[in-house]
Amino acid sequence: MQEQSTESAPENRPEKIERDTNYWLSLEHYAQDPEFLKLGSQEFASSPLKEGEENAIERRDFLKLMGASIALASTGCLRRPVQKVVPYNKQPEEVTLGVPNYYTSSYSDGVESLGLLIKTREGRPIKVEGNPEHPNNKGAVSISAQASILNLYDPDRLNGPRKNLWNEKRTNKDTVTPKWDAMDDEISAQLKKGSVVILSSSISSPSLRSIVSEFSQGFAAKHLVWDAHSNDQLIRARKMCFGAETLPVYQIDKAKLILSIDADFLATFLTPMAFSKQFSKGRREIEKMSRLVSFDSTFSLTGANADLRYRIKPSQQLDVVMAIFSELEKQHKVVVPAALKNTLDEYRNRISQLNMDGKIFAEIAKDLWENRGQSIVMAGGIATQTEFSEGLFCAVNCLNSILGNEGKTILERPAVASSSFADIKALITSMTAGKVKTLILHKVNPIYHLPESFGFAEALKKVDMVVSTADRIDETSQYANYIIPDNHPLEAWGDSESLEGVISLQQPSIRPLYDSRAFALSLMNWGFIAKMGPKRLLAYETYYDYLRNYWKEDVLPKVAKGQNFDDFWAQALQKGFVGSSRATAGKNSAKLEMLSHYKASESVGPELVLYPTVMMGDGSQTNISWLHELPDPVTKITWDNYASVSIAFAKKNSLSEGDVIELDVNGKKLELPTHIQPGLHDEVIAVAVGYGRTKVGRVANNVGRNSYSLVSDQGIFSGQKVTIKKTSRKEKLANPQGNQSMEGRQIVVEATVAEYQKKKSANIHRHHTWSIWPGQEYNGNKWGMSVDLNSCTGCNACVVSCQSENNIPVVGKKYVLEGREMAWIRIDRYYTGTPDNPEVVFQPVMCQQCSNAPCETVCPVLATVHTDDGLNAMVYNRCVGTRYCSNNCPYKVRRFNWFAWNKKIEAPLNMALNPEVTVRIRGVMEKCTFCVQRIKTVKNTARLENRKIKDGEIKTACQVVCPTDAIVFGDMNDPNSAVSALFKDERAYALLEEWHAAPSVRYLSKIRNNGEEKRHSNSEEHV
Amino acid sequence: MRFVFGVICLSALLLSGCKFPSLGYNKGYAPEQPIAFDHSLHVAKNNIQCQYCHNQVERSKHSNIPALSTCMNCHLQVATGKPGIIKLREAYDKGESIQWVKVHMLPDHVHFNHSAHLTRGVNCQECHGPIEKMSRVQQYSDLSMGWCINCHRKPENNAPLNCTTCHH
Repeated sequence: MQEQSTESAPENRPEKIERDTNYWLSLEHYAQDPEFLKLGSQEFASSPLKEGEENAIERRDFLKLMGASIALASTGCLRRPVQKVVPYNKQPEEVTLGVPNYYTSSYSDGVESLGLLIKTREGRPIKVEGNPEHPNNKGAVSISAQASILNLYDPDRLNGPRKNLWNEKRTNKDTVTPKWDAMDDEISAQLKKGSVVILSSSISSPSLRSIVSEFSQGFAAKHLVWDAHSNDQLIRARKMCFGAETLPVYQIDKAKLILSIDADFLATFLTPMAFSKQFSKGRREIEKMSRLVSFDSTFSLTGANADLRYRIKPSQQLDVVMAIFSELEKQHKVVVPAALKNTLDEYRNRISQLNMDGKIFAEIAKDLWENRGQSIVMAGGIATQTEFSEGLFCAVNCLNSILGNEGKTILERPAVASSSFADIKALITSMTAGKVKTLILHKVNPIYHLPESFGFAEALKKVDMVVSTADRIDETSQYANYIIPDNHPLEAWGDSESLEGVISLQQPSIRPLYDSRAFALSLMNWGFIAKMGPKRLLAYETYYDYLRNYWKEDVLPKVAKGQNFDDFWAQALQKGFVGSSRATAGKNSAKLEMLSHYKASESVGPELVLYPTVMMGDGSQTNISWLHELPDPVTKITWDNYASVSIAFAKKNSLSEGDVIELDVNGKKLELPTHIQPGLHDEVIAVAVGYGRTKVGRVANNVGRNSYSLVSDQGIFSGQKVTIKKTSRKEKLANPQGNQSMEGRQIVVEATVAEYQKKKSANIHRHHTWSIWPGQEYNGNKWGMSVDLNSCTGCNACVVSCQSENNIPVVGKKYVLEGREMAWIRIDRYYTGTPDNPEVVFQPVMCQQCSNAPCETVCPVLATVHTDDGLNAMVYNRCVGTRYCSNNCPYKVRRFNWFAWNKKIEAPLNMALNPEVTVRIRGVMEKCTFCVQRIKTVKNTARLENRKIKDGEIKTACQVVCPTDAIVFGDMNDPNSAVSALFKDERAYALLEEWHAAPSVRYLSKIRNNGEEKRHSNSEEHV
Repeated sequence: MRFVFGVICLSALLLSGCKFPSLGYNKGYAPEQPIAFDHSLHVAKNNIQCQYCHNQVERSKHSNIPALSTCMNCHLQVATGKPGIIKLREAYDKGESIQWVKVHMLPDHVHFNHSAHLTRGVNCQECHGPIEKMSRVQQYSDLSMGWCINCHRKPENNAPLNCTTCHH
């Protein structure tokens, strides 16, 4: 079934290759580019030694002088500066200095709502972790939820309300800080005039929805919900097929076969955290593991994790489903109505143009039929928002229906109203006509998200009063009369509906940092001043009171009827959520006839695909340096968006990496650097959205380009015809991985299910190492970690968690280009197979805590030494920065502080630092220590309670957020610990074990359920 | 070249301006406090337990300086006329705090844990000396790394000697 195209290897590849090239990191590596090989031999991307500088002091001379001056200076005293200790005025009950408190809370992006635990120290949140009890995410946390902590402490947030003063032409003359009372009076007087519209993104909070609807009732206002990435087409198709507006709730752990057509469910589609958890659960038992088949028009994270991945272009999405239908018909599994027969015949021609072996569809159809009731077919996300998307979604629904998946592996929940592009256009029309007197904007940024041709900015000027709740003066709120910043979710009370029937509480973990006010309270206040609205809206002084009452009247009777409310509330606060999932089984009622009017249409030439990334999402939360420095899971590029094209496309248009091209999509133009991405369809240009903000803050302003400008006036994201024009410019893309080659050694081991069934340790080459020394004995604990490559989806959540826990600095694009990134855990991505359609493996690499650590023997000042519990300690205050250790580390996990990054941390961002971990200074080497501060905390607690440490009690930062539970940490000296069992697993192997560094990390080999007998790259070639 | 050498020598001379015996350690440091709090009066004379004020010391790495509310537990009634207490009460009423001068200072890269030492039966006095007799708190030990290690190294203490015990 594997698509093979071996001829297409680049021509300039030398004939004689001494190294194993089964795995390759980048195209330069594959092609054995001399520049790349030079980089490889240099080991470090940049050298600190300045060459050819005249009159410079030689380094040794400088050191001599320094030595002399220190000897002189230390004869005198160095009195430390006076420090002050300021105790509390009144001792807060729950604060113990130096001991963290955890509060349950929740975070919602509108669709997925995650149960959280917020770690606070002395009353300030320092880390976001998942609530392991929560029925939706079960401890997993998304990147954006974790990074929201930096949004809280963002120095670019507004510190209070703002009023924009207009001149006659309605351009901004000045921005002033208004008084709350006067402002509220003015706004409520304006609201009384009527014609009020509230434009918000999806609101997952039931109590806020209730306030908005009561407010709308009072002022006869219209509430319009609009998301940049909306699922409204998906919802409408479900209504057409099944009769009700619902969202699918996939039960991925119950499916044996998952077929995804551009639905990136492991990264951005619907509830990725819940899906990742279920996906890994369904693949844990290898004998019964599920199969993921992906038809991908971008190289998505889901595609990268697929057992079988096929590249398509967006206009072929429907063809794929139709191909499966016609195969099902051919195999006499399904009786197709006569009307559809003709349509299918039309599609047969198109299928031949898919450039795929026809057998693929025969096998997928057979597989789906064998797994009926146990499979899932899904499509969704903005990559499927094409002119054919209605047909695609209906076809997917029909396919699931005839396979009997609806109601078994696919449940449903009522969808909260969401508007389409047509609704937003209607709003713009009525705004332009002056029919909207007041517009309230909440968590929306239409001027950024809509192309200029929509004319939102012009229409805004026709509105008498615009009120925005943005936390900064952004692209849209700069045109508002009033900006009343909403509280950050970590500062505010709230609730959110995670799953149907499960409501989570959002508990503030810090008092609002600035003079901001909850959106809900603003609505309540205006209603109160104008004396308009139902009694409940006007009865409460704060949103908290309203929320409590809402829970008493509306939530309590639904989930715990008859319980005392105070008990119920206290329990809800402690647990973080109430209720249990009530997703319902839908009907298998989709009629195949309806598909007959989705006619096939011809599509030639390159097409545009827009896709969201796990880091940026829709770009609404982007002034966060962690997210920009986080490499894209597949391309590994940081700090930019770019136009990804296939190798053949690049060759045809003589493009090379970084060439700036101008995309022309029906007259809408955008210039972007080229990235040559293996595994893309040859007629696809893929661009990430969420970049190119212009007024968001100092971190993200003008990083990348705003590709929302390419969205068509009908709201079509992908599948639009695109022409390109090469410009003469070139830009560098900052990819931190291209300089970390693994030189043909046994790094990632893969096997197929067939191989695994024959031999569990398939393809692992065991090395017999020996030493003349007996080796160190560890009598107490010996810490170890195992990483299951079969579970890891490469989602990057661990990288952000590590960054947050260990105060890891961000270096910026310039220094990523110089190879000076600081991440302690990285996820290496290797391509394998042919460059046209490669497979991907992900491997998280952190310090391997070697028992015979090569770094320790070369440190001249003993700054890195072994502890008696098997850790490779790094003593920052001893380090003098020779970087010998980094030179000698076979895993390249040591990072050097070239500059005093910590001095660039601007208040109040310093509040996000973890006080348990030293902030490193310039000139110091640093690396992963298995979160030694967490080990110490648990050790101390156990000692205080006079007991032993329980297995699984210590969780490292990377482990605690992992949505797939790929990382397990524990004591290797305890034979009953989970990690000991995994070390004995036959799939376990160590990185470069032949070097006898004796690492304390074991990787479990990756198993592919692709129906193949043998891996095309096996370790027999490995020496 | 000569210029640079000159600058370095000059700055070294300037830095060596003041004289202090223990080469950078703060042993004996006893700064004047905003309120002349007297440990000898509270502990030695009135027999108040250390943990009455430093109440978090058994469960935290820090030994907390008591909140003003803790002082006021007694000083609503006791010695209300003394100037120090008047200052304390004024600050308490205004919702302000007292800015004490920190006596025991450790560098940021050292993580000392009070509770871990207390549970192992280390007395306050072993590090803080006759603190119960001090009318003005002074640093008794030099709090240097060598001083820590000397104690950790004693076999009877069975204390860890890993770098990560204090540095992470």
